Amino acid sequence: MDAHAAQHAVAASSAFSSRPEDLAWFILLLPLIAAAGIAFGVRRSPFLSSTLSISATVTAFILSVALFLAFGLGGYASSPSPFSWIHVGSLNVDLGLAVDRLSVLMLVIVTGVSALVQIYSTAYLHGDPGLSRYFGSISLFTFSMLGIVLADNLVMMFVFWELVGVSSYLLIGFWFEKPSAADAAKKAFLTNRLGDFGFLLGILVVWSATGSVSFTEIGNALGGNPTALGGLASIAGLLIFCGAMGKSAQFPLHVWLPDAMEGPTPVSALIHAATMVAAGVYMLCRSYVLFQAPGAWPAHLWFLGDITALDIIAIIGGFTALLAALIAFQQDDIKRILAYSTLSQLGYMVMAVGCGGPDAAMYHLTTHAGFKALLFLGAGAVIHACHHEQDIWKMGGLWHRLPVTFRTFAIGTAALAGVPILTSGFYSKDAILVAALDGGHPVLFGLGVLVAAFTPFYMLRLVIVAFFGKPRTDAARHAHEAPMAMTWPLIALAIPSIAVAWFGLGDFLSAHFNPHFHAHEGGGLFGPFNHAPLAAVFGTGSLIFGVTAAFGIYWGATTDPLPERLGLLSRAMRNRFYFDEVYEAIFVPMHDMVGRLAAAVDRWVVSGLGIRGAHGSVELAGRALRLLQTGNLQTYTFLFAAGVAVVVFVATK
Amino acid sequence: MSLSQLLLTPFAGALLVLLVPGNYRVVHRFIALVTTAITALGAVSVFAAFQPGIAGMQFEEQAAWVPAAGFGFHLGVDGVNIGLVLMASLVAFAATCVSWDIEKQPKLFYILLLVMTGGALGAFLSLDLFFLYFFNELALVPTFIMMGVWGRGENRNYATFQITLYLTLGALIGLSGLALLYSQSGANTLDWVTLKAWLAEKPLSGHSQNLILPLLLVGFGTLVGLFPFHSWAAPGYAAAPSATAMMHAGVLKKVGLYVLLRVALPFCPAAMNHWATPLAVLAMGNVLYCGWVALRQRDLFLLLGNSSLAHMGFCFLGLAAANVIGVTGVVLIMVAHGLLAALSFGLAGHLTKVTGTSDIDKLGGLLKTLPFVGGALVMAFLAGCGVPGFANFPGELTVLFGAWKSFPIFVILAAWGGLLIGGVYMLRAIRDLLHGPLRDGSIQGGDAGPWRRVPFLVLLAALLYFGINPGSLSDRIAPSAERIALVKSISAPATVAATAHAAH
Amino acid sequence: MIPGLHHYLIVSGLLFSLGLFGVLARRSLLVIYMSLELMLNAANLALVAFSRFNNNLNGQVMVFFIITVAAAEVAVGLALIVALYRKRQSAHVEDLTRLKY
Repeated sequence: MDAHAAQHAVAASSAFSSRPEDLAWFILLLPLIAAAGIAFGVRRSPFLSSTLSISATVTAFILSVALFLAFGLGGYASSPSPFSWIHVGSLNVDLGLAVDRLSVLMLVIVTGVSALVQIYSTAYLHGDPGLSRYFGSISLFTFSMLGIVLADNLVMMFVFWELVGVSSYLLIGFWFEKPSAADAAKKAFLTNRLGDFGFLLGILVVWSATGSVSFTEIGNALGGNPTALGGLASIAGLLIFCGAMGKSAQFPLHVWLPDAMEGPTPVSALIHAATMVAAGVYMLCRSYVLFQAPGAWPAHLWFLGDITALDIIAIIGGFTALLAALIAFQQDDIKRILAYSTLSQLGYMVMAVGCGGPDAAMYHLTTHAGFKALLFLGAGAVIHACHHEQDIWKMGGLWHRLPVTFRTFAIGTAALAGVPILTSGFYSKDAILVAALDGGHPVLFGLGVLVAAFTPFYMLRLVIVAFFGKPRTDAARHAHEAPMAMTWPLIALAIPSIAVAWFGLGDFLSAHFNPHFHAHEGGGLFGPFNHAPLAAVFGTGSLIFGVTAAFGIYWGATTDPLPERLGLLSRAMRNRFYFDEVYEAIFVPMHDMVGRLAAAVDRWVVSGLGIRGAHGSVELAGRALRLLQTGNLQTYTFLFAAGVAVVVFVATK
Repeated sequence: MSLSQLLLTPFAGALLVLLVPGNYRVVHRFIALVTTAITALGAVSVFAAFQPGIAGMQFEEQAAWVPAAGFGFHLGVDGVNIGLVLMASLVAFAATCVSWDIEKQPKLFYILLLVMTGGALGAFLSLDLFFLYFFNELALVPTFIMMGVWGRGENRNYATFQITLYLTLGALIGLSGLALLYSQSGANTLDWVTLKAWLAEKPLSGHSQNLILPLLLVGFGTLVGLFPFHSWAAPGYAAAPSATAMMHAGVLKKVGLYVLLRVALPFCPAAMNHWATPLAVLAMGNVLYCGWVALRQRDLFLLLGNSSLAHMGFCFLGLAAANVIGVTGVVLIMVAHGLLAALSFGLAGHLTKVTGTSDIDKLGGLLKTLPFVGGALVMAFLAGCGVPGFANFPGELTVLFGAWKSFPIFVILAAWGGLLIGGVYMLRAIRDLLHGPLRDGSIQGGDAGPWRRVPFLVLLAALLYFGINPGSLSDRIAPSAERIALVKSISAPATVAATAHAAH
Repeated sequence: MIPGLHHYLIVSGLLFSLGLFGVLARRSLLVIYMSLELMLNAANLALVAFSRFNNNLNGQVMVFFIITVAAAEVAVGLALIVALYRKRQSAHVEDLTRLKY
């Protein structure tokens, strides 16, 4: 206890010295200060609120870049943790920050996208009465997200995990007077909660086995004794994955993400493309050490044999990727197409983690954050231009009316589709396919290739229908380019969509997970074709296939030809394979039914039989006994005297 | 400020109000407000002066009363009650603030409120169990009167009867447990510190422990609303005036738990081991059953009442776990829930007064017309479903950690109840009450003015402070919790079972 | 024959029984009242006797108390009976059964 306190005192006194990692504290706290400043100070002025929020985030971004450069060059990891959060018995939780390659990269992504989204929002939400609330919430969100990124133990991560849930609840429900938005916010929060439930249990399992919640100490414990988790090893991994399943919207908890598009479009870009949904993948990478431990199942789950938690994760990820891509085929709402595309890409990343390639997953997360934010913001510009029309079949011919939006959107699409050499998306997607091959999952590799063919198909469907052909409505005919505050973030995001691959980011990440990693010989732009030609060739082939199919079917189309060709399948896709309907038919009524039963029991049995029963029986007895009350004085006296006589008789006998 | 001064302040205030003639209404209000404000500031100063890391009593004061029977006036705070004292005085201040515009017999109302405050503080501060009990009863009586006279709703009389009978009966059963403790211990005293030292030397026999503990559990459990003795709570709070609901749900309800922590756990350890599993089952009754009941409630007060019962389930679970982590968690929840219950009942009271109804079906979109009250209510609801940043989260988390090794299944169920069921009814309430378009029953205007915000801001600030920095509380609690916990350090479930087996 | 304690007690018991009979059997409130006094005096007699035979004054002190209280009681009781008679024009117990059920 004393030793601990002394250690803390030392840590506290040495905090905020000149070490570069202490910058992380400022990065973390800046958005919180902005949120508090808005809540308690300037909330009456939308202008001051937005300025405060943006300047805090931009400063955090600059500091993050500085930190990134320091680590990119120096390449060391460190975790300052001077504050204790709670210390009781064997439960020790410190508010510490983990500053390493993984987190500094995420810091740059989160602060960068957040800053751009906020600048964009000033124009997109111009004149909205709730603007201060918006910026307050978005600052809170940024703070929580940075907290997840920097947390150095599971409990702190869970704390910020929940806070991200709350702030996204506030942001999705920004237009809360709209019933659909309010419902979507609720649904998102509760679906995430379902995942958090598993996450929390996972933390408990890990804590009781290793005696700690800190990533470093868990790593040390598992390093010393890989079977420390015993028969619960795989269960613990899967429980932790439950949390990722919620935040990263993996099947079967994917239903909240498309509905969350009810929030303002910049929010979708920030939360549902670049940051919050990436948190799940990030968390899997952060706690990857748990998944490296040898898998084991409790005795009564013997039939699972030597399937590991990672295998299950990979299968769920791959399935989500395929499922979401199929649904995206038949969506008409521009934001929903992007939402399902996000789901699909997240499935991709989760699959990569499951195949043993957390570096590939993080790589794709990084590139995806850039181009998906770009696509969402571009979609926002389109929606803005078309007076809040979101149906792509009611657009058309926008390419020369919205030149900047179109060009940047095209770059984003190219990156998402994975155009070789030119775009970042190609390299990260290739890394995932390589990971699937190297991890010994040929089926998942095939699935990955299939999804890689689907992706350009549905994205080009979107681009061709919305931007080319003739305008199909007046809104599209009179569309005009968005203001500067909206186009500049688009351009800023288009740059990393092209250029991220050129910094050797993949090697940077691989070195984090594998200290013995050496960069491949013959790297550079054509690297993928040199050292893993199979994946690169398949990836490029699937791209060509998808592009050709999309142009063949949709070029010049005014209505969707797919429903006729696919028939029933198309209807299922359009209706998202009926997941919402099934959930709504099963889960909600189930709880409601139990609730109704419990309420009925409370009303009729506990209050009725119990209380009113006791009350009634007392009253009945009273009704009988009152007949003794004749009112005659002498009767009472007689009874009294007789009573005394009996007592005396009994007492003296 | 010494503890006796802290305790006497509300009573002195009550006396002052009594002396001022009935038609000086403003003076009554002012005296009550100043008194509770002084109490709150005093409690804050005591809390700040309290040395963390010390297990024993601090600021002790003692005076003999009936030496022959071993009853004495003994005040003192350790980690277990220091937070509760602070919470009680803050809630009392907030309750006085929200009853600013009581129209009917304000003089009597304020006297009762101050007596209630003094009683609650006395119950937490007294180390002599006789005085603890006495002060608790002293605080309970005004509850019944206030409900009967200033209550709201058609069900008022029935609810008042019910709560009076339940709580009186519960208190009597609890008293019989304490009396049995007095007679069985042979220490000829009910002074906690003496009793603790005495029983450490000569523990109670297993037989008398098994007699005393059920009495305490049922008696004081009823005061807390332990399933199945809970049905007084929700209708009671629905019928009580805001200030009473705040004081009772927030503060007085905790006295029952406090006695269980202080008496049942350290004095009946063997019986506690024996009864741990049944107690945990009953705790699930609170968490799950009351949670499900809350799902179906369409009245704001019934919803809040049932959710408050569900939170108590976590306390009972931590009590059943009986280790340091669990006990610390229980105290954390007690403090947090006291603040939260006061906040939510206060806000709900304001809402009901402004809109004239507490029927959720008749309201909607209130966040638009009542930005402050609505926003604070959103925060209260979120705190209620265990969102980090508010004090409830660290408490519930700590209880789950503490109970995990002894009762993994119950922890899973409790986490389900807290995260999911709690989330569903709280978010549903936000959705129906505050979000969405304005409904017929909703009104324009009526948001709390700057002064009316003070009580809510005080409670929110405390909730946030202990939520962000739970260490400030847990560092004070943990050493004292170590003294009363059964399992000093976490041991494997097998050992716990073995001790339980050895106990009888 | 020197009377012993039991003689006094027998007389006291007889007096008490007479009084009780009167209380139970008579109708007039006034007579009931007098019977009550008889019972009190029976108790007084027993107390004085005990006092005498136990050689201390406790019993006698008690008797003084009883006499004082009885005097007060008679005053209040008679006042009540008079008030009742004025209201009801009756002082018979069977007419005074308003307080039943």
